[in-house]
Amino acid sequence: MGLVQKIVTWARIKSPWIIHFNTGACNACDIEIIAALTPRYDVERFGVILKGTPRHADVLVCSGPVTRQIKDRLIRIYEQMPEPKFVVAVGTCACSGGVFNGCYNVEGGIDEVIPVSAYIPGCPASPKAIIDGVVKLLASVDNAAKPARELVVNGT
Amino acid sequence: MLVEEEKIRQQLVERFGLPAEKITVQRERRIWADVPAANFGEIFDYAADKLGFVILATITGLDEGPTLGVIYHIARESGIILNLHTSVPKDKPVIKTVSARFPAADAYEREMVDLLGMQVEGLPPGNRYPLPDSWPAGQYPLRKDWKSDTIGKSEVTENA
Amino acid sequence: MPEREVKLTIGPQHPMLKEPESFLLTLRGEKITDMTVRLGYNHRGIEKACEQRTYIQDMYLVERVCGICSHSHSTCFIQTVEEIAGLAVPKRGLYIRTLIAELERIHSHLLWVGVAGHEIGFDTLLMYTWRDRELVMDILALISGNRVNYGMNTIGGVRRDITTDQIPQILSAIDKLEERTKYYIQVGTEEITLRERLSGVGKLSKEDAIHLGAVGPTARASGVDRDVRRDDPYGAYGELSFDVITDNHCDVYGRTLVRLGELMQSYKLVRQILRQLPEGPIVVKAPRKIPAGQAVSRYEAPRGEDVHYVKANGSDKPERVKVRAPTLANVQVVAHMLKDGYLADTPIVIAAIDPCFSCTDRTIATTNLDNGRTDRMDWPTLRTYGIEWYSKQGIDFTELNRKLRTMRESN
Repeated sequence: MGLVQKIVTWARIKSPWIIHFNTGACNACDIEIIAALTPRYDVERFGVILKGTPRHADVLVCSGPVTRQIKDRLIRIYEQMPEPKFVVAVGTCACSGGVFNGCYNVEGGIDEVIPVSAYIPGCPASPKAIIDGVVKLLASVDNAAKPARELVVNGT
Repeated sequence: MLVEEEKIRQQLVERFGLPAEKITVQRERRIWADVPAANFGEIFDYAADKLGFVILATITGLDEGPTLGVIYHIARESGIILNLHTSVPKDKPVIKTVSARFPAADAYEREMVDLLGMQVEGLPPGNRYPLPDSWPAGQYPLRKDWKSDTIGKSEVTENA
Repeated sequence: MPEREVKLTIGPQHPMLKEPESFLLTLRGEKITDMTVRLGYNHRGIEKACEQRTYIQDMYLVERVCGICSHSHSTCFIQTVEEIAGLAVPKRGLYIRTLIAELERIHSHLLWVGVAGHEIGFDTLLMYTWRDRELVMDILALISGNRVNYGMNTIGGVRRDITTDQIPQILSAIDKLEERTKYYIQVGTEEITLRERLSGVGKLSKEDAIHLGAVGPTARASGVDRDVRRDDPYGAYGELSFDVITDNHCDVYGRTLVRLGELMQSYKLVRQILRQLPEGPIVVKAPRKIPAGQAVSRYEAPRGEDVHYVKANGSDKPERVKVRAPTLANVQVVAHMLKDGYLADTPIVIAAIDPCFSCTDRTIATTNLDNGRTDRMDWPTLRTYGIEWYSKQGIDFTELNRKLRTMRESN
């Protein structure tokens, strides 16, 4: 129950509004991100809300190895988010390009394009790892009175 | 056993005078035929109209060195696939669209245009697929001599 | 108010950015008169990468063409390579592959039912189907070690065996899922609100489905009796019995019924597979270098026919790998389905071909041809527009949401 306790704790501190963006991913991470919102994991009860627009979001949850076609969009979304803002790279592709590293139409990890606050590896990253990563990120923000440092999550 | 497949093979050999070794029955439900570009069109139409190959599974383009190859994978409702291969010279890689009969061919043909530099006559105007608009001309990723790192990461972005 | 033609663009995420759009709609009032599709946002260059990597490396790459039907792509690719190499996969290996295939179909179809519910405002359906789906995710994780991207295949067979203690767990999950699916079928067939919302939407006649090359449940819902598992059998399907589910509604309602019917068939297939599971090895050794040759393979993925072509040249790397995913066939049909439909239908009609998520993460832009002004909507806004538009027509899911919640919570 440690994880639940952590979530309850930071939910009192802040309830982050999240925007999810797929930069060319295979969708495995995307369905695990959405699974994190559904009953078994259900982060919504802790105040984590999925928003449709970057203008209201605190955290950009990103999957995918960033295809050329999508790169500019990713930058614009990031620019539209108000400060303070955080970027979570979900999945190995978002961290480094994953299996698609070296393919002619991908940039590589999200951090090739925008600054990343937290990396959640996994292929795909499981809902537990995703929640853990977001929780760790926000806990670190709350603990330190400065912008989020890079964190790497070893979750399953 | 392979009665139907052999029958199809015979019909194609007889009607178009194709050399026997250019059409093979690989196994049940799989026939491979290598036909000259000159009469590809009529063979394709015959297979679709008269032999019941009414499903276009996909079209594969290949870099064969001096030529670009095209394989049309067409299937019968019963599951038999006829793989019709033809080649065109790389310095004049022109084929005719089959999208009038198979509208789905549109995407498969555009893919060959973008990735191999194929020229497809008769393709209606439309968006390119799958490369971005700003992809430099003359760069064909699926050609054997094209290296994946030819175009730098930040050189091509979608929007000016 | 004079009707004008308006061009509406469903494009990528950001509202204020001028970019190449995914879907361009032409409107007359609230009706769609035309639509064009622009693809490529997910183009990663996989086919090229395959030529530069070994067959084993390609196995892991191809598995990630799509994460929702990863086993489909993996199996279709491997089947092709095995055929070129002349490998006879042991029966037990084929049965295990087929088991995973059907479990994947189950997870994918349940996912789809939930997504469809979300698009029309029936959100409790999303919550309950995805909760049920966790049962099959658990089973997939039990068997393969991962919830998604199972890595079960290798060239020559499968990498992991089914153990005897796993079998009752799988059967128990299937029993529960079958009960719940029966309830969703009941909701689908008996609830007027759902029926009215989905009927006549995204119309596709049988003739058009055939002519335009639709595949999978999208085609079968228009009465097209095609299923690769029966027509061009692979894996263990030659020894299994099941019904191909077709429907004649030719609309989104039909596509819903087909997927629900296929779920029931999948439960039946899983039980058969486990009952008939032969003893013996699960894999046969494969050479590192695949002899020169070529083959084409088809597979009935949850979304429809998946086609892989491989040409080998005698080395440890393929000469050519071609992948035609089912969504590419179906997305070319969407324009036709939306013609003469309402703007409010757009989210569910696109969702009903069961496309990849990235196709649906798009922004909508409106160009008013009278004054040249451009407005933009994002997908969630279009979804809300659709839900509210139908609500005004008297089709509202508030009551059904409440009803489903009450019935499920009381169990």
